[in-house]
Formats: sequence, structure tokens, C-alpha cells
Amino acid sequence: MNEQDDKLDDLVAAHKAETHEAPAHLKQQWHAAIDQAAALERGRAPTPRERWHPGSFFWGMAVSAAIAVSVAIGVFVSDDAIDNTPVPYLVENAAPSDAIPVAFTRGLQHHFRSSRQQLADLDGNEDAAMLVLRLVEQNRLFETAADKNNAPQLARVLRAFEPILLRLAATDIAPGDAEALRAQLSFELNVMLTKLAKESSDETHST
Amino acid sequence: MKTLAKTILITLALIFAAPGLAQSDNRDSNDELKLAAIEALITAPADKALPLVSKVLAGNHSTEVKEAALFILSQIDKPEAQTTLLKFATEESGELQLEAIRMIGIRGGDGMSNLKSIYDSGDSDAREAVLEAFMIAGDKNSVFEIAKTAEGDDFEEAVEMLAVMGARDELRQLRSARGTSEALIEACAISGDLECLRELAADDSDIDLQVDAIEGMGIIGGDEVNAALVEIYKSASNEDIREAALDGLMISGDDKGLLELYRSSNDSSEKKELLEYLVMTGSDEVWSIIDSALDGDE
Repeated sequence: MNEQDDKLDDLVAAHKAETHEAPAHLKQQWHAAIDQAAALERGRAPTPRERWHPGSFFWGMAVSAAIAVSVAIGVFVSDDAIDNTPVPYLVENAAPSDAIPVAFTRGLQHHFRSSRQQLADLDGNEDAAMLVLRLVEQNRLFETAADKNNAPQLARVLRAFEPILLRLAATDIAPGDAEALRAQLSFELNVMLTKLAKESSDETHST
Repeated sequence: MKTLAKTILITLALIFAAPGLAQSDNRDSNDELKLAAIEALITAPADKALPLVSKVLAGNHSTEVKEAALFILSQIDKPEAQTTLLKFATEESGELQLEAIRMIGIRGGDGMSNLKSIYDSGDSDAREAVLEAFMIAGDKNSVFEIAKTAEGDDFEEAVEMLAVMGARDELRQLRSARGTSEALIEACAISGDLECLRELAADDSDIDLQVDAIEGMGIIGGDEVNAALVEIYKSASNEDIREAALDGLMISGDDKGLLELYRSSNDSSEKKELLEYLVMTGSDEVWSIIDSALDGDE
């Protein structure tokens, strides 16, 4: 009975003392992994605008890997996920061809529009970092799909977005830097949307 | 579409007519107009868009506007576009140089062959930008070649980039050639190379690296990893390894493994520690455990 009481006391004491908080080194791993990357950036020579450091990508990958499963579920299943679009264009082509499948192009256009809107909604959002990491995961799905759908040039553009998104996910990024990165991404997303729309239009008119 | 192209050209003509405005107080709104015009150039035929983009790059415009012009160049499939990007990547400095290097990666193709010389002659920012360009282009081999001879931060950055690219074979070759390091262990985790981490987790010649490897297994996660981490915990010969296994289980979010350890333990201080980890994983089972403990069932 005394032993049982000791266990119970331990439990109660643990919660009263809030000893269930993460150890410092784990807090760093989980709650400040991206900040760590930002710290790496700060250690470098000042530039007009902070650029991406591979370390930020590295740690961003670590953190985003942790949410990859939930995002995948969110994309395909959840009713309240960021993007509920059906994703047939993520399926590898059954019949290989040199042409980029129309379904993939439409899906990519939706992804670009959705990303642009989400970037616009980030300002002041308390969950901005998590939202950006989900964007990274969605972007990665489309990178894979682009490679499998005869679109290496689109895959390169999508890969180029990822470091910028991960810089945006840093919780201690200066507002001015975040705004500049959002503006750059929005411009590049707009250009790609316009380009895809023009190519679709040209194909329609040529057939 | 032709009407749109004409509109673009007229807009650009208006913008170019007053380049000095780039320095004025009205720069932001002026830049917005320029950016909209440059964006629309993506619809123009390449032979019309190229001279206009080149004019923007040669003119007195903000860095943001010139970076936008570089992105348009990356989407123009003409040798002249590549030549201009290379010129900026080799002759410019600062933001524009770094952005031009990024654009070479986005463009891919023949221009990529010039990146190694830019890496060799560039400062640390340029070297990072070149690694990023190789990543964007999906060129693992070029990053691997750099990593083989790089030292210090350059080596770690190249290793990190290989991890991001999922270059497991290349990372294994580096480990064989240059020995295990923290950077290579983290790279194993990020690239999802469980076999690599299991080997290192079993190697007790360096406790710090062993701990890193065990924790890194949690990043990969999954049933196989979780079962392995539970076994590592049970057979651990010291507290550091036990704690690393718990950290790994928490990182992977495996409350089942933690619950198994909690229920099989007869030590109150160990149970308390395991309960703390269960709380951190956000396990739904925590409340039933507490309830059971309060009822005297545990």
C-alpha cells in the first residue's frame, strides 16, 4: 500500500511541478528546430536580405518530416485540410508519353493558386510556421508528380520554391524579410500560373 | 493574346521612359507596376521578351525588379537567356549574383556546367547558392563531387544538401571514405536511411555519435523503428542510451512503445519518466494511466 502511495505521490508531484515539460535539448529539437536554422543564418555576414542556408532546409526537412504523415492524410482525407482537391494527377502515368498530362497541369495550377492565397493569408497568423510547413509538404508532392509526369522543368521550379518556404517558416524571421520572401514567391507563382495558362491556351487553339 | 502582348509592351515603354523614378519616394508603387509588367512578359514571344528583360537588368531598377527579370529569363528557352544568367552569376555580386545562380538551377541544361567554377571562386554565400542550384536541378553527382574534397562548413553544407536530395548511396560512400560525423548521422536520418542509423546505433565506440544515431531513428519513425527503439531501451547499458531511445520514441510520436515500457516497468521513478514522455507525445492513453494509478491499478 505504501509503495502504491509512493507511485501516486510521484505522479501528482510530477504534474504539480510540471516536470512533464520537455527536456531542454528536446525542446530545442522540436520547438526551435527551424529557429536553429535561422540562428545559423544570423551568424553569417549581413546581406541586404537574408538568404536561405542549407541548414534551414536540413532542419526544416526534419520538422516537416514529422508532420508529413498528418499532411498526407490531410491532403487526401480531411474535410478541413488546407487543400481538399482530388489528386489524380499525383498518380504515375499509366501510359508514358512526352506530353505533360492535362490533369497534372490543372492540378498544378490549383496548387499554385492555393499556395498564393495561403501566402497572402499568412501575415499575422499565429500558426504561420505550421501552415508554411504544410505548404512545403504539398509542394513536395507536386515535385514528385512533376518528375513522374514528364515535367522536369516544372519540378525544378517547385524545388526552387522549397528553400524560400522553409525560410518563411522560421518563427523569428524579421517581418520585412518575411514580406520580401512572400512577395518573391507570389511573383514567381503568378508567372508560373500565367505561363501554364498560356501553354494550355496555345494547345487548345492548336488542336 | 496579341492584345495582351501589346499592352505589356506599351506598359514597359512607359516604365522605361522614367527609370529615375526607381530612386524616388514613390518607388514601391512604381516597382509594383514594373513587376506586373515583367510578370506579363512571360506571355510574350521569346524574341520580344529577351531584349526587354535585358533592358531591365541593365537599367537603374531595384534589386527586387531585377530579380523578377532574372526569373523570367529562367523561363525563356533561348541561349541568350542562359548567357545573361551566367553573366550575372559570374560578374555580379550580392543578391543578384545569388539569384542568378538560383535561376541557373531552375533553368537546368548546359548552364549547369559553369556552376562548379562559380563554386570554386565564390564566397561562402555563392557556394551555398551553387549547392542550392544543384539541388533544384536534381544533380546529386555534382554535390557529391564537392563533398568528397570539401572541408569544415563546406563539407557539412554539401552533406546536408545530399541528405535533402535523398542521396543515400553517396552519403554512405562519404561515410566510408571520411568516417562518421554528426553531420553524416543527421544526413542518414533526413535521407531516411534506417540501415545506416541502425549500424551506428549499435556502435558504442563513440557515445555521442551513438546517441545521435538513436535519436535520428525517431525522425524516420514507423513500426520497425519504434520496435527497434524499444529494444534499444530495454537492453541499454547506460542512462544516455536509454534517454536517447526515449527521445527517439518521442520524436517518432510512438506512444505505443512508450506505453509498453510504462506498463512493463515496476520502478516508480522510471514510470514517472515514461509518463512525462507520454504526456509530451500527447498520448490519449495518459489519462487512463493516471486514472488507473489513482485507482491503484498500476
